[in-house]
Parts: sequence; structure tokens; C-alpha cells
Amino acid sequence: MTSSNYHTLKVLIADDFSNFRNTIQQMLVELGVSNIAMANSAETVIEKCEHERFDIVLCDYNLGSGRNGQHVLEELRHRQLIDSQAVFILVSAEAGRNIVMSAYDSAPDDYLMKPITAQMLQGRLKRLLAARAHFAGVYQALDRGDKELACERLIAMSLEQGRHTCLAQKMLGELFLELGEYRKAEKLYQRVLESRELDWARLGLAKAKQLMGDLEQAEQWLERIIDENYLFLPAYDTLSENYLARGDTVKAQDVVKQSVEVSPMSILRQKNLAGLARDNKARDLAVEAMHKVVRLGRFSCFGRREDKLLLARAVADALEHEVDVSASLFNEACELLSDKQQHAELDTLANVQLLYIQARLFAGKGELDTAKQMVVEAETRLTVEDSDIDVELDHIRALLSLDYEQKCNQLLERLQELYADDQQALEKLDEFLSEPASEASKALVAEVNREGIELYNQERYDEALACFDKALQLFPKHLGLKLNIVQAMLGKMKHCDDDSLLESVGENSRDALENIAAQIDEHHAQFKRFLQLKAMALKLNA
Amino acid sequence: MNKNTELDFATVLASSVHDMKNSVAMLLVNVESILERYQPKGPEESQSFKSLHYEASRINGELIQLLSLYRMDHKLLTAQIDEYYLSDMLEEQVARNQLLLDTSDVNLELDVDDALAWYFDVDLVAGVVHNVLLNCIRYTKAKVKISAQEERGWLKISVADDGQGYPDIMLQQPQIMAEYAQLGDGQTHLGLFFAARIAQMHKQADKVGRIELRNNASLGGGEFILYLP
Repeated sequence: MTSSNYHTLKVLIADDFSNFRNTIQQMLVELGVSNIAMANSAETVIEKCEHERFDIVLCDYNLGSGRNGQHVLEELRHRQLIDSQAVFILVSAEAGRNIVMSAYDSAPDDYLMKPITAQMLQGRLKRLLAARAHFAGVYQALDRGDKELACERLIAMSLEQGRHTCLAQKMLGELFLELGEYRKAEKLYQRVLESRELDWARLGLAKAKQLMGDLEQAEQWLERIIDENYLFLPAYDTLSENYLARGDTVKAQDVVKQSVEVSPMSILRQKNLAGLARDNKARDLAVEAMHKVVRLGRFSCFGRREDKLLLARAVADALEHEVDVSASLFNEACELLSDKQQHAELDTLANVQLLYIQARLFAGKGELDTAKQMVVEAETRLTVEDSDIDVELDHIRALLSLDYEQKCNQLLERLQELYADDQQALEKLDEFLSEPASEASKALVAEVNREGIELYNQERYDEALACFDKALQLFPKHLGLKLNIVQAMLGKMKHCDDDSLLESVGENSRDALENIAAQIDEHHAQFKRFLQLKAMALKLNA
Repeated sequence: MNKNTELDFATVLASSVHDMKNSVAMLLVNVESILERYQPKGPEESQSFKSLHYEASRINGELIQLLSLYRMDHKLLTAQIDEYYLSDMLEEQVARNQLLLDTSDVNLELDVDDALAWYFDVDLVAGVVHNVLLNCIRYTKAKVKISAQEERGWLKISVADDGQGYPDIMLQQPQIMAEYAQLGDGQTHLGLFFAARIAQMHKQADKVGRIELRNNASLGGGEFILYLP
């Protein structure tokens, strides 16, 4: 591409200092660029891109207070305000890739370090435009949705030896994975790795292995990458997916936690972490991560209105499980919910949900009267029939936090009727039921019981206890599990010589029986078994 | 001072360095636009313009080094290795210093095969070349030569000049390159230490990058060589 093409280019320069904008503009004019727009803030960049398509965006990292160049890039990409061929260059006084790359979710096409000279800018533009021209056919095919053609063109390019081979290989690998051509992707990455162990090729290979179902190999590759280059974030993302595919949500959570330590500004990773922590019932971590999501969301296009709600709920969850929450965070959660303007923007369902969460928070704080009023208001505004399962879960928790046990049981019964045909909804209710309602949970409990009882029969009491305890985490109200735990404790006591251990297990078993006594009555199918265990415990504890 | 306050001080220092760097970058942009717009009146003014520009660039370079070293020590910096073309990287470093070269009347020769590509962290290595080049422009008589080639499985980047060469004490004490120390001549040699650290971050199989210093080299002065596996 020759300099004569410069006059067709549309360039946007963004910097909060007019001095810098003018200098760059002058340089571009001398190169022959005539179509130049300027922006002095993040908002203006986005506004300009909403109205016009630019070929090149030269955006400073620092755009004054508020959002920075990286936030702008994320929004432009997310809202597709720049097309696939556009070049986004992040300008900063920092040493490029290393600093910016690790912090965020999305990477610019190129970096330029200040101070910029006319010769430097010319050299960069020449290279970027040459690359763009080289790949024009590929982008055209991709924009038309013709991935096969793009693939064909990239294969030809990746076989040439030249300046664009490496980028062609990267693009081709990703396209192969997208098209489900895992074997081809694997071969491509292996060929690259023969000449050098590059992180992107190792990651690609791991992805190909993962998609072909070889999770173990994928894990090994990913751990090696992280071990050698702990700033290479995509490896963490893929590794956590890998653990999820293996069903290990705790390890997945650990990996995401490591990745947010490396990329503190990444809102998407924080959201992911908050979700995993909530599912894993790591309540303090869920609060911490959601808190960061709300903070980061102020400037990010990935910030959502419901983030505040999720934070407040995480705080309520934590309080109900006696996890410490700082007073300032608690107040912040309350404030987030009492924003009047926000209420006006929400629909009835969301407003009712908000009331239930608010009630939970007030109950957690000990302001029971206010909490009760809120529950009443919420119940008047929306009937159970018009509500949805997620709102009703907050309803249940609000009733529990107010010790409205009978009311809660009635609600649970009503919900089981209403959602009798909705297994997913039933699974969500199982946590509150003494017998799970969903098929999946029933099967899970049956499996755990089978495993635990087998261990018990082999007199491996500690393992049996661990097995039942784990299931009880998922179904804390499950009576059968609780009784099994007591039985395993008693089994352990029978075969124990250590006095102090005997005493502590004995105490635990008494506590467990008391807990069951509060939940069971003589009509219950397991009542007889409960009495037997109680008698046995008395004998052993005597 | 206990360990904790020392650590805090390092962090405070790093964030002020970060701030200073932004200011110096602004300063440099302004200096360069002044240099382009106004012809100096007489050699004296030309000399002070040149010095203004050189010293500002030097501060900028040193601040970047300081920040990078801080990040290395806090595990916030690793080499992001990919394939890059040497001519692209070296031409850009020359372009970055073109104005200084012009005002200093230094003749620069760049000797690199257009097709030479290698695996390295382009930002870190560019930073090393920039600092060495800046130093050479300051201390050379009239010529600087940058070259890059493959040599027995290594990439060799060399920056040579026709100045007085490196002081003997620097040539004699290669351990400075692995371990930071003062050489007793009042200079910190942070630049060389930084270059050595960057070189060491480049590893391939059992080979590790290194730097070398030489005198009486091709142009008669000193020569800085960076070897990357």
C-alpha cells in the first residue's frame, strides 16, 4: 500500500489534551490524511463512532476523569461501533502490552508509546495498513459470513513465509476451532510449536484438546502456560472452563480468583467469579467479587443495573450464614437498593425482588419491623402465581430470616405445586426442602447415600461422614442425610478408644439430634428411626 | 525502618514514577514541537535545545526502566514472546530518536535484513535498544551503527559507535549484568542492569539471553550486544 491511499482514510484522534491532538493531526495531515475527527473524552469517541465508521482510531489511554481508552475500546467492540477491519491503536505513556494487556478484557490492535514522532507514526501506519490490505479478502469473507472461504484464504497465507504468516496462523487456528475442525487446529498449533513454544499456540492446542474431550491433556498444557507466564490471562479463562467441564467448580473458582488478581480491572472475570462463588457457597468471596463488579461497572459497558441487586443479595446471603460483612459494605448495599430513581425504571417483578432482598438485609441488621413491613408490601404487590422462581427464592429467604417458619413451609408447598413440571425450578427449591423435589437432586442424594452407607458398612466412618456432610451442604434441610450423619457418628463412637475424641463426637451427635428434633414430628416416616438413634446416643453418651 | 514501611515506600515511589512519566512524556512532545517550529539562533542555542531534548528523553527512559524493574520484582511483568520483524522494531527506535540524531549531527547506519524475524518481547527489547541508542547519540563522535543478524542460533542485536568506548571498569565487571551494584564511579548503571534483566527474561530450551560490552569494535568505539535465544 502506498502513501497515496492515506487520503481515503478516516481517522479519529482521542486525547484529553488539545496539544497532543493537534500534534498528531499535524502529523497525519503531512502524511496526506485529510479526513480527521477529534474527540476529547471517552463519551465523545463513542458518540463519533455511533455516527461514522473510522478506519483508524488513535485513542489515548488517559482520557481525563472517568472512563479510559480501554473502556472505550470495550464498548466500541461490544456495540460493534468499529468494524472488523478498523484499527484501534491505544496510545499511552506506558510501556505498552505488558501493562495494559493484563488488566482488562479486550486487547487493542496496536499500542503506541508516547512521545510519538512523525516518523514513528508513519512507520506504524504503513505496517498496519499493509497488514489490513493483506487480510482484506479474509475480512470480506468473514463479514459476509463465508467462513469456509476465509479459511481457504488463510490456509494459503499461513503457508507463505512472510511478514503476515504468524497472524494468518493465529486467525486460522481460531477459525478452525470455531468451525469444529479440531484435528486441523491441533495440527496447525503443533506445527507452530515445533519451531517455538509460543503461548498463543500452546493455548490453541489446549483449546483443541479440550474441545475434543481430552480434558486432562488440556489441563496439563494450560498449567504449563500459567506456570511460565502467569500474566497470560486467556490461559486462566480456558483452564477454568476446563475444570467446569470436569465438574470441579471449586477448582474453577480458584483459577478465576487467580486471574482477577492478575487482571483487577476485568469486570467480566469478576462477574464470573461472583457467580462461581455463589454456586459454591463461598459467600465472603461472592460478596467481594460482586462489590468489585459494581465498582468496575460504573465505567464499563458490561456494568448492569442488576449488578447492584446481586451485590445486595450476596450481602444478605452472607449475613444469613453468619459471614462477616463490614458495616460500610452493608450500608452500601442498603443504599444501592433504596435509589428511588432506580425503582421507577424497574418493572413490578424487579421491584418486588428488591423489596425481598431489602427485607433480608433489614432482618440481618435486626430491624425486624421494617423487614416485616417490606415483606407484606411485596406480597401485596405480587402474588406467587404472577411471580417467578428467582423472586420467590428471595421471598423464601426473607421469610426464613424473619423466622416465619410456618408461612415459609406453606409457600414451599405452593411452589412445589406450581412448578411441578419444571425440574430446574424444583432443583432451586431443593435446598429448602427436607426431601428434594427434583429428579436430579433425588438421584444425587440417592447416590451419595449409597456411597456413604457402603463406607459405613466398611466401618470407614470418617469417610462416610465427609460424604454425607458434602451432600448436606447442598440440601441443608434433608432429614435422611441428617439421620445418616448421626448414625455414622454413633458408629464412630462405638469403635473409638480416645476419650477426648469420644467426647467431642458425642457432643456433635447431641447437637445434630437436637437440630433434627426441631424439624421432625411423629407423623414423619423416619420418626421411628430418629427415636432409635436417640436412644442409642443416650446409651453411648452415658 | 521495618520491612513493611520499605515495601510501602517502593509502591509509593512506583506510583509517583508513573505520574512523572506522564508529565515527562508531555514535556517531550512540547520540546519536539518547539524544535520543529523554531530554528535555533546560533550554536549556543542549538546546543541548549539539544541538551533539553536529550535530558528529557533520558529521564523518560530511566523512569520507564524504574517502573519496569518495580514490576519485575512484584511479579507484574513477564516477557510476552511472539514473532517480530527486526527491521520494524529497529526502524521505529531510529524514528523515535530521529530528531535527536538530526540536531546532534550523528550519522546513523542501520544494517538489518528486511526478512529477519525473531521471537522476543517487542516492547521490552525496544526499550533496551532505545536506551542504548540514546546513550550512544550522547557520547559518540559522529557515527552510530545498529545491526541485527542471526548468529549460530542466536539473535544478535548490536549498537556500536565511534566514541571513547565503555569505561574499563564496566568491561571488567560483567557481574553487574546479573546483580545490581554500584561500580564506585558514582554512576548507577541502571541501564545496563535493566538490559541484562530483560535479556535474561528471554529463554529457549536451556539457553538464556545475555548482554555483552566491547571496545574498539567495528566503528572504533564501544559496542553493546544483546544476544537472544
